[in-house]
Amino acid sequence: MIYLITALDAEAKPLCDHYRLKRDTSLPYTLYRNDEMTLLVGGIGKANTMMALSALLGWRIPEAGDILINIGICGAPSEYTIGEALLIHQIFEGERRYYPDVLYPHTLREAALRSIDSPQSMECTHPVDMESSAIFQAASRFFKLHQMAFLKIVSDHFTPESVTKEGAIDFVRSHVNTLDELIRNLQSVQVDPSLFTADERREINALKEHFTKSQGDALEDALSYCRLKNPKNSLKLDHVIPHSKRERSQLLETLIQALTA
Amino acid sequence: MKHSSKPSPPKLFSHLYIEKGILDHPQTRMIRAKFSDSQVIVIEHYKEVFNRSAQSFAAQSSAKKLILARKEGKFLHEGSQYSDGFDIGQFFYASSVMGCLYDCDYCYLQGLYPSANTVLFVNLEDAFDQLVPYLGEETLVATSYDTDTMAIESLTHQTKSWLDFAAEHKNLYLEIRTKSANIKALKNNTPNDRVTLAWTLSPQEIIDRYEHATPSLEKRLSAVREAIALGWKVRLCIDPVIYTENFDSLYSKLIERIFDSIDSDAIEHLTLGSFRMSQSHLRALKKLRRSDVAFFPYTVKNEMATYPETIESYILETLLAKATRYLPQERIRTWQRQS
Repeated sequence: MIYLITALDAEAKPLCDHYRLKRDTSLPYTLYRNDEMTLLVGGIGKANTMMALSALLGWRIPEAGDILINIGICGAPSEYTIGEALLIHQIFEGERRYYPDVLYPHTLREAALRSIDSPQSMECTHPVDMESSAIFQAASRFFKLHQMAFLKIVSDHFTPESVTKEGAIDFVRSHVNTLDELIRNLQSVQVDPSLFTADERREINALKEHFTKSQGDALEDALSYCRLKNPKNSLKLDHVIPHSKRERSQLLETLIQALTA
Repeated sequence: MKHSSKPSPPKLFSHLYIEKGILDHPQTRMIRAKFSDSQVIVIEHYKEVFNRSAQSFAAQSSAKKLILARKEGKFLHEGSQYSDGFDIGQFFYASSVMGCLYDCDYCYLQGLYPSANTVLFVNLEDAFDQLVPYLGEETLVATSYDTDTMAIESLTHQTKSWLDFAAEHKNLYLEIRTKSANIKALKNNTPNDRVTLAWTLSPQEIIDRYEHATPSLEKRLSAVREAIALGWKVRLCIDPVIYTENFDSLYSKLIERIFDSIDSDAIEHLTLGSFRMSQSHLRALKKLRRSDVAFFPYTVKNEMATYPETIESYILETLLAKATRYLPQERIRTWQRQS
């Protein structure tokens, strides 16, 4: 699943159009979905964002291989061009700092970002937004650091009053291809730690029920050994389980020997 | 959004995380110049990056970042029971780098550290200051314990610094263990009898399978030959031995290849040892689910996981029988669990 999060409806609109997302009313937050993507409009500010994202991720708990991208507009110093997309590698919030992992090559300009509490009219040394630190904090309970990315589009040079709804829509719309590319990059570095198919997992769990906890752990290790060593080999998991404890222990020993030979 | 083509991996150290306090350190400047295309991210303390929660060691392994920091506190730690102290009175290992360029499936660093990134402490001079009080008596320091220092020598020059320091202190013995083929540091120093270069050698099939991003066996052997020719003392380590279905043939051929290629009289010792790891590190390795090495049914005794005694004995007996054809037994050291 690809989780996208924006602060504003205006930022979400071009994404709904591009990915053909449909409104989902399962949660008391603005949510759009298709089969492989969920877009959350978390609202402005850290508290709104954190509540909305925690509700979403608690409801649809992410799995290994899922990714989360925060996309939205930001204010930035004049060295950044209006309309430029930035990939964030460091997020400041007061004295705290957060670091998403950027493990893929890309062509975006990287930047540090400061998460602030209200729209910024004063010059600041870094680009600023009002949600990233809260998104990082909530998301890092559910995602590994390399599963998250923060894509910010420069909307103004600390003149937030100049940013219109239409402007926000256009800024995001102009970077839907950038987002596509980022999704590809992020997906390319995901590591799937599951060694077994869902069917195999069911059979393994059923088999383990015939043994004690420590015997089951030993069997799981042996199966993992076998799968990692011979990834293409299928596992034989349908065994006749003897009634006596002694015979079950013997069966386990034989199984482990065969799997780790 | 399914895509078949995978982007190429990022270049090594695409990101440099640098502590604010060492931005102007000469080594920082040298490394920044060397990695001028890398992103520089200024941090307060290395732990805020290296010790983050929710890191994936497996994902980071193919895109390692470099963290430059100043070490506070102890550089030297007592040598561990898993290593050979060569009966020298005092045995320390120096922790001047955390993390390794190489990515070996059996390495305990995966269980020890929360991150696959590399931390380089630029204030090696403080390690020397901490060592001086011990040098009234013979002291062994292993410099490549939490890393392979020779592998990143071109970046750190730490091996050269250690060699220079050892040349000035007559009670200091160094063990520099490596899989590297880069011996440039050795060429600019006079060989020192108190310095042992220890190369870890494995069959090429084991290197391909478990020792990712490391030089080939032939490159390592070539580096060994060159080091010997320069006059350095060399120890060879077939350690850790990974027990596989074709163990006999793989490791027998390895020993043959080594001594076909290297004059056995020029070797100080050959060390033989089978895979071993603390139970807690092994548990962490299992969580990564990266390699079959983590899941072998080891025997655990006193918190140490090793091959079952029959296999461990078989490994050592087989290798000893083969190795003694080339070296006298007294020049072969073996690691075996204390029962």
